[in-house]
Amino acid sequence: MGISSGPKPFLTVGVLFILLSPATGFSAPGRPRVINCRSPEKETFTCWWEPGDDGGLPTTYALYYRLEGSETIYECPDYKTAGENSCFFSKNDTSLWVDYNISVVASNDMGKSVSEPVEVDVVYIVQPNTPESVMVSVLEDNHGPYLRVDWEKPQSADTRSGWITLVYQLRVKQAKDETWEEYDAGMQKYYNVFSLHSGKEYMVQVRCKPDHGFWSEWTTPVYIQMPDYMPKERSMWIMVAVISAFLILLFGWTMNVKQNSVKHCLLPPVPGPKIQGFDQQLLKNGKSEEMFNALVIPGFPPTSTYEDLLVEYLEVYDDEKRELVLNEKNLIEGSMKSKSTSSDNDSGRGSCDSRTLLMEKCVDESGTEQELSQYGEASWASSDSEGRDNPASPGLEDGKVQMWPSVLSSPQSHNFQQQHPGGLRASHHSVPEISCVSPQVQTCCGQQDQLEGFQFSKPGLYRYAQMYSMDTIECKHVAQEPQSQSQSQSLSAEYVEVQTVNQENVLLVTPLSNPEGPNPELSDFSGEDYSKVRDVTSDNVLLLQRDLSVSQFVGDYCQDQIGQVDPCFLQQQQQEQTCKLNAHLHHPASTLQEDMRLAGNGYVDTTMMMS
Amino acid sequence: MKNTKVLQGCLGLLFCSIHGLLGSALDCPDRDAGGTRCSISVEKLLDRAIQHAELIYRVSEEARTLFEQMFIPFSFHAQQSHGGHLCTSNIFPIPTSKSEVQQISDKWLLHSVLILIQFWIDPLVELQASLDRYDNAPSDLLNKTKWMSTKLMNLEQGVLVLIRKMLEEGSLELHNNESVTPYLLPTDMVEHVLRDYAMLSCFKKDAHKMETFLKFLKCRQTNRPSCSIL
Repeated sequence: MGISSGPKPFLTVGVLFILLSPATGFSAPGRPRVINCRSPEKETFTCWWEPGDDGGLPTTYALYYRLEGSETIYECPDYKTAGENSCFFSKNDTSLWVDYNISVVASNDMGKSVSEPVEVDVVYIVQPNTPESVMVSVLEDNHGPYLRVDWEKPQSADTRSGWITLVYQLRVKQAKDETWEEYDAGMQKYYNVFSLHSGKEYMVQVRCKPDHGFWSEWTTPVYIQMPDYMPKERSMWIMVAVISAFLILLFGWTMNVKQNSVKHCLLPPVPGPKIQGFDQQLLKNGKSEEMFNALVIPGFPPTSTYEDLLVEYLEVYDDEKRELVLNEKNLIEGSMKSKSTSSDNDSGRGSCDSRTLLMEKCVDESGTEQELSQYGEASWASSDSEGRDNPASPGLEDGKVQMWPSVLSSPQSHNFQQQHPGGLRASHHSVPEISCVSPQVQTCCGQQDQLEGFQFSKPGLYRYAQMYSMDTIECKHVAQEPQSQSQSQSLSAEYVEVQTVNQENVLLVTPLSNPEGPNPELSDFSGEDYSKVRDVTSDNVLLLQRDLSVSQFVGDYCQDQIGQVDPCFLQQQQQEQTCKLNAHLHHPASTLQEDMRLAGNGYVDTTMMMS
Repeated sequence: MKNTKVLQGCLGLLFCSIHGLLGSALDCPDRDAGGTRCSISVEKLLDRAIQHAELIYRVSEEARTLFEQMFIPFSFHAQQSHGGHLCTSNIFPIPTSKSEVQQISDKWLLHSVLILIQFWIDPLVELQASLDRYDNAPSDLLNKTKWMSTKLMNLEQGVLVLIRKMLEEGSLELHNNESVTPYLLPTDMVEHVLRDYAMLSCFKKDAHKMETFLKFLKCRQTNRPSCSIL
């Protein structure tokens, strides 16, 4: 068979070709798309499009636009200037405030396709070019280095005529950082960046924007190296820190060397107990009982009855220089409160200047309880015994209270004023010298009208009687022996209150009536004995009388002309003696038992007692 | 001696106070021929006018965006000029490019601005009335339109003063003779929403025109040669 068919095979081939053509991919182009249109200076603009599928065939693109309010269609005047797939509208082709209706048509052999139309108003699509000539420099001021960034406007933008207004923005970051720091520069073309770290490398970029439009692209980054810089403050602080560290080290080393002395200075060693009998070893052994027992001093506190504390004898020194200190601290049962001892800081020794030694406050004459002065002197009552009970034999009231002023010899001599018995004020704190009179003279002061006796305040009060610088106390009437003696026998102990001392150094005493009814008690009292002032002589001699018991009547009168301060006792056995020289009051322990109390006008000196 | 010094002091005080009273808030340029009274300089007047125009443009942009978000479906955004509604550009010879602007004299530039301003005073009032009729118009939008209307009238006053000072002539009584409002709005716009949207868009454009012209004018005032060159 030969090829005898004519046109038929060609037709077949053509049909086949047409039928088979879709399988090879040729088709009309796909729809292109207008990407965007931009105007860099509000005078021209450019539009770009994106081609669609080209359908396998060479496709041509055309851009057509139409102005607002007109139906005339124009084609893009310039396809070249802006590059591929773009259309550039020159100044002459650009109208502002007019909407452009732009569309792109793609066409190939197979067909055409038209893109979506886009409305564009040139005024609203302004996006300027990037700023130009960005320059970064490092400057210095007082606070350290900073960056100064300078740039120029994009050349195309006409800001000089005011046609377009641009605002600028820059951003900075360290070369290795991720985040940018943005700064708005407004319409100026420079900017200073502060507070950057020294020694680091930084990148700077700038962009701009018209007042109504889009931001431009960022400029290419400019790299700048910050210099190494140590701020003055920091260097100063470093210096301060170094010096202080050095000083601390020095101080620590010194402390370490002088460890012991420092320790001694800051933490003084606690003194160990210096208690007599305190044995640390016992404490360490843990036997507290033994230790405490060791502390107990036998015989302390004195547990003897206070009757033992009574003065039984008195040591009298005639030496002026030697001071006789007789203290008696009576511990009355019960209350410890003592008005006398509260403020006395020279216990045991009376101050010569103390004016409060003797009674200053006296109760009325009726004999209410007499309060002792601060020092609790004995009250010597000096008054006529008229109207008063006769002083009984001196003795303790209730057998307890005994109050004797302490007799202290001192060179000073105070003058007592003899006061009229009517007066109640004890005026003198210092007992003048008491003259020692022999028993024979004991009655000198025993006149009825001049009976004096010691009267002590009620028990219950502490007596801390202290007398200083006794002057010579003289009984007035010395030579009235018989009367006084007889009277003295019947005399019960009576308390006398020293009223005053007259100019002649005569102690005026007034007897006090004891509210507790001393008289019967005193009269019954056998053992206790107080010396009572019998009389005060004109020579300022206080004649004391001591009554021990009926059997034993010891009236002691001491007359000491020398000026010693002594009330003194003489034993009954003693003959008339002048007590000038060392009259001692003894307490015969054998004869005098507990019922014999050392009355006297002496005080019990515990030290003497104990020793 | 003392008396003269005191007198000098008093006189000085007097002069200072008078000067202060007269020229307290205003510059006293030497431009005024008569020098009768002090007034603001042209530059400052222009600056104020430019500020006004900028503000008006910004507010109009915001108002239009608000309106668009509230009332305009997204599909209509691309068809702003659908139907071919016109703004003022076809009615008055307003320059539409920089080259045209450069060719226009100061006088016509100012007059163009004035025309624009005077054109929009009444439509803005109408727009405001139309927006009030909406059910759910945001108060922000209403406030903005009200503000724009007020500011526009202020700007008109400023431009009139500028014309008087720069051109030394009376203002053109344009707006009294012609009423251009009916020509603007397309009659086939039955829907109020679209009409209002178109008005807002046109106003925004015209505000931008005013701003641009005034700024260009300022350049010419300060630096005449460079403004002509690109």
